Amino acid sequence: MHLDPFELHRPRSVEEAVRLASELSGQCDYLAGGTDLLPNYKMHLNLRPHLIALEDIPELRGHSFERLGAMERLADLEGDPAFRAAYPGIQDAVGEVATPLVRASGTVGGNLLVETRCFFFNQSFFWRASLGFCLKADGDRCHVVPQKERCYATFSGDLAPSLLVLDADVEVAGPSGRRRLPLSGLYDAAGDGIRRTRLAPGELLVAVHLPPSARGQRAGYKKLRVRPSFDFPELGVAVAGRWDGTRVESLRIAVGGVETYPRRFDALTDPLAGAPLSEEALGRVASEVMRGVRPVHNTFLLPDYRRRVVEVYVRRAVREAREGSAA
Amino acid sequence: MPSRDRLRFRLNGQPVDVFCPDPRILLDLLREDLRLTGTKRGCDLGTCGCCTVLLDGRPALSCLTLARLVESREVTTIEGVTPPQGLSPVQRAFVEHGATQCGFCTPGFVVTATALLRANPHPSREEIERAIAGNLCRCTGYTKIIEAIAAVGGR
Repeated sequence: MHLDPFELHRPRSVEEAVRLASELSGQCDYLAGGTDLLPNYKMHLNLRPHLIALEDIPELRGHSFERLGAMERLADLEGDPAFRAAYPGIQDAVGEVATPLVRASGTVGGNLLVETRCFFFNQSFFWRASLGFCLKADGDRCHVVPQKERCYATFSGDLAPSLLVLDADVEVAGPSGRRRLPLSGLYDAAGDGIRRTRLAPGELLVAVHLPPSARGQRAGYKKLRVRPSFDFPELGVAVAGRWDGTRVESLRIAVGGVETYPRRFDALTDPLAGAPLSEEALGRVASEVMRGVRPVHNTFLLPDYRRRVVEVYVRRAVREAREGSAA
Repeated sequence: MPSRDRLRFRLNGQPVDVFCPDPRILLDLLREDLRLTGTKRGCDLGTCGCCTVLLDGRPALSCLTLARLVESREVTTIEGVTPPQGLSPVQRAFVEHGATQCGFCTPGFVVTATALLRANPHPSREEIERAIAGNLCRCTGYTKIIEAIAAVGGR
């Protein structure tokens, strides 16, 4: 498949990239690893006449215990044993993203901002044209929930839940300078599903920052998908916590792959701190998380099945984290 | 040729200087412009691994790589992995173990396996399975492929 014409730009710094994006306002996409954007371009999904490649910006590279550059390749995180040991939950999630070949190009920032997915969106131009297109690209109605004026495409990144439970921040750069916000604030649950983040037009994700408290937590990530070696998540459950003996000090649960946004369930887990976690309490939390999510029928597996697996995966992920050794 | 459209990189050890507009995909450049058809086009969306090449020695999906972004870099295709005479150890092992049936996925597997064995000369079965997880084969059931790679690694 050939790509439609576009002009490629290769800025050398974050500031130059942001300036370009602001000059080309609304007419450009940032290109990170390309493993999500280029397949979408091949399918004629939301093409722009300008692409700003982030390849040549050294500041976006690299990782440490405190900072993950937005252009850091997933394979480079995966290949660092010290990082793996410090952040078992992030490592679980990284290792579950697509395939090793995709992870060789795929980036941290790309995975956090991966395009939401839907049966009616991730299709060829010909296929979509036959249905009169959809809200998310070229059309004016949603085929999944036709009575609503919003998009229900599913958030399909694996990294976000595992970083949400560690209270990660993101650093973004825009025409008016830099700002930091909690990762949980990056995703805009009040949006219409098409505008999914609180990034202003042209803003660029620079890095993820991990607070000192993120290290050494017992953490894990469980992913539901059809083909275990490739697919996007039908559900992803991330857990991180600290235990003092049997007593819970802190516990966080985040879920992705079932709604348009990944999200945390602090209201359910905060009351668990300070006491041992009984099987009954864990069962209650798992079933509340299940009741709290609203998957729709826009991926391979049926929404009811995905919801039921939420309950099972929350229980398993918390148990495994509790029994796992702290890093 | 206007300099804007000129692309220079190293391909299988040789310098290349070609016409390349911005939207050209590396796979198309290799197969259609440079006539290196050993690299196969499977899904064209990053799912199947047939189009795997080495970019600065690391495996990359050429169907999802903009050709312009390999400027000044080193690309190795299946043609570059194959010695001038005969077969590479990985290729020979694929033949000896019957790891090839229709053969369409084979160049991708050979390139992925070559990169794996350079980074990790004696991979375990599990490491092999993990490394080839992005290469799809519809014929062999993978067992023969894993055995071939393990044999090169001396396991």
